[in-house]
Amino acid sequence: MSNAHEVVEKNVGLMIVLTLIAVSFGGLAEIVPLFWQKATTEPLETLEPYSALEMEGRDIYIREGCHVCHTQMVRPLRAETERFGPYSVAGEDVWEHPFLWGSKRTGPDLAHVGIRPITEQWHREHLRDPRQVVPESNMPAYPWLETTPVDWSHTERKLRLFKNTFGVPYTDEGIAEQVERFTNGEWSEATEEDALVAYLLSLGRERKEVTQ
Amino acid sequence: MSDFWSWFIIVIVVINLLGCAGLLLWNNSISAEEAAKETTGHSFDGIVERNSPLPRWWLGLFIGTLVFACVYLVLYPGLGKFDGVLGWTSSGQYDSEVALVERQTGPLFEQYAQVPIEELIRYPEALAVGGRLFANNCAICHGSDARGAKGYPNLTDDAWLYGGSPEQIVTSITAGRQGAMPPMAAAIGNTDEAVRDMAIYVQSLSRPDVANKGDNAAAIERAKPRFMMCAACHGPDGSGNQMLGAPNLTDNSWLYGPRLEDIEYGIKHGRSGHMPAHESLLSKERIHVIAAYVYNLSHRADADNTTTP
Ligand code: HEC
Ligand code: HEC
Ligand code: HEC
Repeated sequence: MSNAHEVVEKNVGLMIVLTLIAVSFGGLAEIVPLFWQKATTEPLETLEPYSALEMEGRDIYIREGCHVCHTQMVRPLRAETERFGPYSVAGEDVWEHPFLWGSKRTGPDLAHVGIRPITEQWHREHLRDPRQVVPESNMPAYPWLETTPVDWSHTERKLRLFKNTFGVPYTDEGIAEQVERFTNGEWSEATEEDALVAYLLSLGRERKEVTQ
Repeated sequence: MSDFWSWFIIVIVVINLLGCAGLLLWNNSISAEEAAKETTGHSFDGIVERNSPLPRWWLGLFIGTLVFACVYLVLYPGLGKFDGVLGWTSSGQYDSEVALVERQTGPLFEQYAQVPIEELIRYPEALAVGGRLFANNCAICHGSDARGAKGYPNLTDDAWLYGGSPEQIVTSITAGRQGAMPPMAAAIGNTDEAVRDMAIYVQSLSRPDVANKGDNAAAIERAKPRFMMCAACHGPDGSGNQMLGAPNLTDNSWLYGPRLEDIEYGIKHGRSGHMPAHESLLSKERIHVIAAYVYNLSHRADADNTTTP
């Protein structure tokens, strides 16, 4: 061998370019094709867009950092499906922006918590004070959610953004109806706890028919 | 996956492998004249770089990874649409894992299903299985020790809302339960005093000494006739009704707590504890085993002379 590698070693610009090429192989083969696969780009037939209340609940979930302790990705392992419900598939998350898969499980996976046999009442008591229902729990309490009204000022814009930018099938009439429900209707006095619990109870509804 | 993407992946993977192999060969092919040199001729601030060949073990590892990649790509899916000769998929692996456990535990559950629950509590293994199922499915509400929490009944004592017989426990789990006590303040006079009187009366049902404190005796006298309104569900003597899930108020075992505030809250706002049905989540055989675990919690003395099946 000649000392051809000397060219690369002494030429930082060239080295950067070659390094980028080398590391892009994995992404090109493993990630890029996914953007064109039906399994990852087409929603499940049973998938329903979030209601305005659930959408706000989801943003509270993000704001409070629930995803730091909870994943939303049940892996295809029996031990997980026994506890968390059916395993996750890509078609569930097509309308998730950003997705909330998480990477650490201090608490249980919540991907399908809405179809677990947990009551709305339990969720409320648990959010106000987890140790009231689960004495061993180290989950923080979120008592202020019960008394804080939902801030609806951006909700309509969010729904439109999901419709126009992400292609979630909201309709103009549908959005108008949702807006009506939170301006004058049943959600006008909803608290953040109502929104978060509605979101939690919606998780996994598209997989309800999959029994263990 | 379309042919285009399949080939796209195959080409990248193959180029990648060939590229690595080529790079290795190229770096390893040194002319005799080069190899004979002591140093590479590089000198940085007087430090010279020695001219050593690639270490053999390292070279061996590199070649090993290339061989591993080729074998892997033949056996497992990785080359575009090619499924690999083993036909492995993650969902297939999951299904066979589930089927395997089903084969192993199915006969066991079937065997347990033949044993009446009163008997099954003598099978330590069945109780261990039941305990794990309980931890997975029931502990979040009834507690990991099954002692419950406010609004979630303690399953280890002899106080039952709906009955502690094996059949009643199985029904509680299978079909779920919905407690329903309507707000009662209006029916008993609608004043804070009337509600307070009634709460004191309810306390006195399980703790007669309450009557001796302060004006409690008078409060109890006032409330007593109004307890008529409660009798339809809790019974004239307050001993409850398991058909309705109306708790026995005379046993000093509390679902929502013994404090006056707790009782007053219940009278004013009603109570509606909900136990979800588990029919669609757990097979009959599993419910049978969990029910045995629950039954055992309040019958441990009976199970003491344990015989292993
Ligand atoms: C510090 C980590 C932590 C954070 C942050 C956290 N949790 Fe938890 N969560 C836990 C743990 C641990 C458990 C299990 C014990 C329990 O049930 O409380 C749990 C349990 C739960 C459960 C019960 C799930 C099941 O299947 O049993 C729900 C629902 C839940 N959390 C929702 C939330 C929500 C909503 C938030 C954000 C508002 C949140 N958690 C934030 C740690 C956390
Ligand atoms: C979401 C919370 C929740 C879960 C999960 C749950 N339960 Fe319950 N359970 C309740 C509540 C609340 C009641 C009381 C219902 C009422 O107030 O009328 C109850 C009642 C019962 C009763 C009747 C108790 C009595 O005194 O008659 C039994 C037995 C029981 N549960 C067993 C179980 C078992 C076994 C499981 C797991 C398979 C389970 N529960 C899961 C909340 C729950
Ligand atoms: C329609 C039937 C009904 C009537 C009438 C009724 N109750 Fe109840 N009560 C229930 C049921 C059912 C529960 C259990 C609620 C649950 O499971 O969540 C209950 C629960 C309670 C509890 C909580 C017990 C505990 O262990 O914590 C108290 C106290 C109580 N009732 C008092 C009263 C009083 C006092 C009255 C009359 C003013 C009354 N109830 C009338 C059905 C009734």
